Amino acid sequence: MLRTSALQSVAIQGRFGADKGQPGLMLSVVHPLAIAMVIARKGKSKVLKDALATLKSVNVLWAGPDQYYVQSTVKSETALYIELKTKLANIASVTDQSHGRVTIRISGPKARAVLAKGTPIDLYTEEFPVGKSALTQMAHVGVHLTRTGNDEFTLSVFRGFSESFWEWLTSQSAEFGYQVG
Amino acid sequence: MLIPCPHCGTRPVEEFTFLGDATVIRPTSLEPSSMDDWMDYVYLRDNPRGNYAEYVQHSGGCRAWLVVTRNTGTHEVHSAVAAKAMKAKP
Repeated sequence: MLRTSALQSVAIQGRFGADKGQPGLMLSVVHPLAIAMVIARKGKSKVLKDALATLKSVNVLWAGPDQYYVQSTVKSETALYIELKTKLANIASVTDQSHGRVTIRISGPKARAVLAKGTPIDLYTEEFPVGKSALTQMAHVGVHLTRTGNDEFTLSVFRGFSESFWEWLTSQSAEFGYQVG
Repeated sequence: MLIPCPHCGTRPVEEFTFLGDATVIRPTSLEPSSMDDWMDYVYLRDNPRGNYAEYVQHSGGCRAWLVVTRNTGTHEVHSAVAAKAMKAKP
């Protein structure tokens, strides 16, 4: 089934903002992406952690106490949901979030400077290393933030807030010049 | 004011929602004779100057309920623990 990104009509490819020199950052929408929210049942946090570690070709991201987002770019949303539902029966509750959240990748030398305008989180590499996730707010929107590289992050927001959030993110990026890919 | 969330680390107060006194205990009886206890539980609060334990939700973060103890005079935060962990104690 064909899926349409919530940002399809707004995230237009090209170079925007300050136009001198190299763009300070790159923005792109991670789409399509299968996402499932997994929440441990009572007393099962350790069992869930071990079970999640055995999964293949997925990304497991911390999303709150005993809660995780399991993401996959290769598995379909249905396949991921059914796999988790089966493997984590009686360990955790699983909810498909693939259509519920929009994920934006932000990278480049000025990525950190843009994020710092919105979040109080210390983005210094030693405080917030690669692979770490945090829940925070930017421009009054709840954001799930993950560092995927030294100068690369992914931001995940509720689909309904994504257009407004994109507008904020691009206006904050304009001073550095940004490339939408 | 900075609150040290046990799940997320230190975050500014803007990310949190305050509910109120965490020391009141819900009466178990539904007898008419316990109405005074219910009155206390639902409406009456102390307004201390000094240490105060409150329920606080990290609504802009991990969404967990916490019990934050702070000084109402100086806004110094002494502790923030998960409400779940407090409740588990006998």
